[in-house]
Amino acid sequence: MKRIDNSRLVCVLAPSRLRDLARWAGLGTLCLCVALSYVWQHFHCIQLGYELEDLKARQAQALVLNSELRLEIAGMRNPGRLDQIARVQLGLTQPVPGQVEFVNGPSGAEVAAYRIPRTPAVPGQARLLDGPSGGSQ
Amino acid sequence: MDQALRRRLLIVAILVAAWVAAVLLRLAYLQLVCYQEYLARAQRQQQHVVEVAPKRGEIYDRNMHPLAMSIPVDSCFAVPSEIADQDLAARLLSGVLGIPREAIAARLASSRSFAWVARKLPPEKAQAIAALNLKGIYFQKESQRFYPKRELAAHVIGYVDIDGNGLGGIEYELDSQIHGKPGRMLVLEDARRRWFARTDQTVDAGANAVLTLDEKIQYIAEKELLAAIEGTHALAGTVVVENPNDGEIYAMANWPRFNPNAAGDSPAEARIDRAISALCEPGSTFKLITLSAAFEERITRPEEVFDCQNGAVYIAGHRIRDHRPFGLLTVAGILAHSSDVGAIKIALRLGAPKFYEYIRAFGFGAPSGVDLPGESKGLLRPLENWTPISVGSIAMGQEIGVTPIQLLSAVSAIADGGLLYRPHVVKELRRGSQFLAPAGARAASEPRQVLRPQTAATLRHLMEGVILDGTGKLARLDGWTAAGKTGTAQKIDPTTGRYSRTQLIASFTGFAPLNQPAVAIIVSLDSPVGLHEGGQVAAPVFKRVAEQVLAYLDVPRDVPLKLQLQRAALRGRAVDPGTEELEDFTPADPETEALLGKDETATRGSVEQTESVSAPTVAVAEEGGVPIPALTGKTMREVTEECLRLGLEPVLVGTGVALDQTPAAGAGMRRGSKITVRFGSPARGGGRAHQ
Repeated sequence: MKRIDNSRLVCVLAPSRLRDLARWAGLGTLCLCVALSYVWQHFHCIQLGYELEDLKARQAQALVLNSELRLEIAGMRNPGRLDQIARVQLGLTQPVPGQVEFVNGPSGAEVAAYRIPRTPAVPGQARLLDGPSGGSQ
Repeated sequence: MDQALRRRLLIVAILVAAWVAAVLLRLAYLQLVCYQEYLARAQRQQQHVVEVAPKRGEIYDRNMHPLAMSIPVDSCFAVPSEIADQDLAARLLSGVLGIPREAIAARLASSRSFAWVARKLPPEKAQAIAALNLKGIYFQKESQRFYPKRELAAHVIGYVDIDGNGLGGIEYELDSQIHGKPGRMLVLEDARRRWFARTDQTVDAGANAVLTLDEKIQYIAEKELLAAIEGTHALAGTVVVENPNDGEIYAMANWPRFNPNAAGDSPAEARIDRAISALCEPGSTFKLITLSAAFEERITRPEEVFDCQNGAVYIAGHRIRDHRPFGLLTVAGILAHSSDVGAIKIALRLGAPKFYEYIRAFGFGAPSGVDLPGESKGLLRPLENWTPISVGSIAMGQEIGVTPIQLLSAVSAIADGGLLYRPHVVKELRRGSQFLAPAGARAASEPRQVLRPQTAATLRHLMEGVILDGTGKLARLDGWTAAGKTGTAQKIDPTTGRYSRTQLIASFTGFAPLNQPAVAIIVSLDSPVGLHEGGQVAAPVFKRVAEQVLAYLDVPRDVPLKLQLQRAALRGRAVDPGTEELEDFTPADPETEALLGKDETATRGSVEQTESVSAPTVAVAEEGGVPIPALTGKTMREVTEECLRLGLEPVLVGTGVALDQTPAAGAGMRRGSKITVRFGSPARGGGRAHQ
């Protein structure tokens, strides 16, 4: 039997085949990335949906709380209740005609600006100043 | 690699390929063939359609203070088919809700798919039920109506049933506009029932209604009505305050009243809005209509004298007596002293057809058009059904049924120069920032001129006389002029079918100030005990309500305050030197003396000192006060020139020289205010007697 030595033969990959291989690998990776991003996006969307629903629930709770507080304020401002407090708790009486005067004074904002508390001279002691111009005392 | 190994690898590869192919095929089968079936199954599990109840619109007063609000609360319902042990569930729910176990068990047994357990629960009970964690028990948000001011204006606002449908007042009248339309929401939830997506269908929120009511004026009216009811032990009562210049109702108070938060707990009688539905004979207040028609037809004058025949007159064979005998009275006197005989004689001279025409023109016998449900149109027989005595009876306010709101509208027309406005309580409807059209048939209408301005001015002057010199002296205001008319009407005794001598309706209707009326008020008390005449029990209520409302509305005073009141008003003020003469004022009224305190003189200095330090009060001079000159005896030209020079608007009534004026000389008024001057001939002052 004649032995043939073909150990010197080298399998040479053609450059075009290598390019094809790289192209397919790249395409596969791209597809994988697209698929993964789609899946990630899908689950992230669901996650955001949970967060959105959570926020909406909190918003609804805040609106309900707002309504309840407005209802409470409205009840507190009931003229009958205020009248009772004025008469019974504070001992006030109804003014006689002429005792009440409506004065066209400064607006509420002006009054608020006038009475705004400044930084206290002594830490921990807040006080109302006399006014914007003479407020250093 | 040997052959055996290659074969094994091949087998494994084939098996893996087959497995992958099987998975792919299964995937393809699920995705392509079974897609619709599994999609439908997933949707059934994940998707839920949730009913979203509409938010009922809120109701505000004219200053946007809320009178009715809605808040979402939890309602508990069951899906009985999901509950394994209904007896256990009923027992547990019974413990939390305080409802008998049998009642809950019956509800659970009533249906397999849905049964209410309890609706509109307080938060603590809803939380307690949720904590039980019962299978088949669910919650749904529902809107619950709250009335934060409780009984305040309850008859106007109305109330709703458990389903949020309006059953009375504005809640019923505007139900279609403030109810809103429910929406639906498609939600996706996971196995743990957590929502992760939703699709909203728009919920049509109800419109907000802004009323013409002012909650503070409403409170004043209700407080004074309650005080009057307690003082007179009347069965019922009504006070209505209206702006005569546009027909806006500021307040509509009724007694008995109810709490709309628990309307079902009150008797049906308490929920009646008597201001618009209580039909009663107006009594002497109707003489205003009699005189309006007579002056408009120019068949008499205020100074004309009628013989009141010592308090009795025969008409169609019937003897009609005055409440006390009168001799000769001017027309002004007839109104001031409320002589029935005088009113009958004027009506007879006017004639039934003309009288009927004016009664209809003032709106009697037809609904006033107020935008509230259940209004009565009154009772006015057609002219052809009048008997010979009818003209006399109606002239003094009998044989005719009116509602307080009808009477107040007529008086408002007199106050506003003869213009009759439709009374209304709805100012506007809003949805967000969008203004909606008023509710259909109740749309604003143009006022009708039912009297000439001169006639209205004459009536106003005569009505002032009722308060100054007539039956309505207790209605005289401190600081403002006023005009009005008392009324005391007998009720029909159902047992005898005749007029009762003890069951009376006392009323007073009027307006203030005289020349530029800011408010028109009617007070009506049903069956007061003890003092029972309108001038005795209703006129003081008018005074108390009018004084507080005019002060609240900051209406300029047109007559000086009583001196003792000025003194009381200036207590504690840092008065300037120019007001030192007030020190000499001495209270003449014992009540005011008591108000000021017996030892006030001794302590006043220290009180003033203390108050001026702790709560300084600013003393402000009356704004724009123009002293009213004496115009009596002057000609029309002189009066006009004098008024224009002072910036006042003269209202001239009659011809000749000035006989009297309103306000009186010396009072202070703002520039631009009206001053009414009545002219006539001094020689005709005595008038002529009419038989």
